[in-house]
Amino acid sequence: MPVTAERLDATFTALADPTRRAILAHLARGDATVNELAAPFAMTLPGISKHLKVLERCGLISRTRRAQFRPCHLEGDVLDEAMSWIEANRRIWRERFDRLDEHLRGIQQAGSPEGEGRIPGRDSDRIAGGERSTA
Amino acid sequence: MSEAAAEKAELTYTRVFDAPRELVFRCLTEPEHLAHFWGPAGTHTPPDGIAADVRPGGVFEAVMVNDADGSQYTMHAVYVEVEPPERLVWTEPGSGVTTTSTFTDLGGSRTEVRIQQRNVPSAFRSPGAQSGFRSSLDRFAAYLGTL
Repeated sequence: MPVTAERLDATFTALADPTRRAILAHLARGDATVNELAAPFAMTLPGISKHLKVLERCGLISRTRRAQFRPCHLEGDVLDEAMSWIEANRRIWRERFDRLDEHLRGIQQAGSPEGEGRIPGRDSDRIAGGERSTA
Repeated sequence: MSEAAAEKAELTYTRVFDAPRELVFRCLTEPEHLAHFWGPAGTHTPPDGIAADVRPGGVFEAVMVNDADGSQYTMHAVYVEVEPPERLVWTEPGSGVTTTSTFTDLGGSRTEVRIQQRNVPSAFRSPGAQSGFRSSLDRFAAYLGTL
C-alpha cells in the first residue's frame, strides 16, 4: 500500500483526537468489539462509532464483515506509516512539561497562595522530607 | 538512549525545572497541581477528576475532558513505587505501560525529571513479539498509554 501524503494527513488527523488515540491503544492489545471499546469512555455507542469510522476511513483499523459483532482490528502497516507520529506524540510530554514549568513559575512567584504555605519558595527549598541532595 | 534500551521499547524524556525537588515531586502527585498541566493539548483535567493515592498499590486516575466535544477519557494507573521526592513508578493495567519518574536535585533549586516508559513484558508477549512490527507497536502503545 503506497504511502501518500494525503493518507498520512488523514491518519494524523485521525490521531489528533485523544479519544481515538485511546481506542488505538486498546486495539494494540488485540481485536475488540464496539462495546468493549466504549467501556472505558463516558460516551454513547454512536459516539464511539463515529470515531471508529474516522479510524476506518484512513485505514488505521479494519472491521470484519462476517462476524456478528464486527470486531475492530488494528492495521499494523498503516500504523507503521504513522510511526513518525511517535515523534509528534513526544509533544505530549514536552507540552505537559511546558505547562508544568509555567505552573511552577507561577506558584513560586505568587508566594504559594494555592498551597496555603505548604509550597516552599526558592529560599526555603530542600528542607522537607529529610532527603538530602543527591551527591 | 542506548540501542538495547531502544530494543526494549523504552522511551525516555527529560526536562530540567527551575524549582526545588520537593515542589516538583508534589506537582506530579497532588491533584490540585496535576490539574494545571496533566491533560494533553485539546483536553482539560479538572482537579476533582484526579485521584492520587500516592503509595504502592494506590490508585492514580485522571479524567481528561476533550475541549472540543466534552467527551471524557479516564487514565487508570496504580502506583508501584513511591519514594518521595526521588522516584515514582506507576503502571497502567489497561495498556501494560509502566512509567518511571526520576527526580534529581541539581542544586541551586533546579530539578531534573526523567520519564521512562516501558511495557510490562507480559502485556505484549506473543508469537512474533520480537519482530519489528511488534517492536514498533510496543513503542506506539507505550506512548498511547500515557494519554
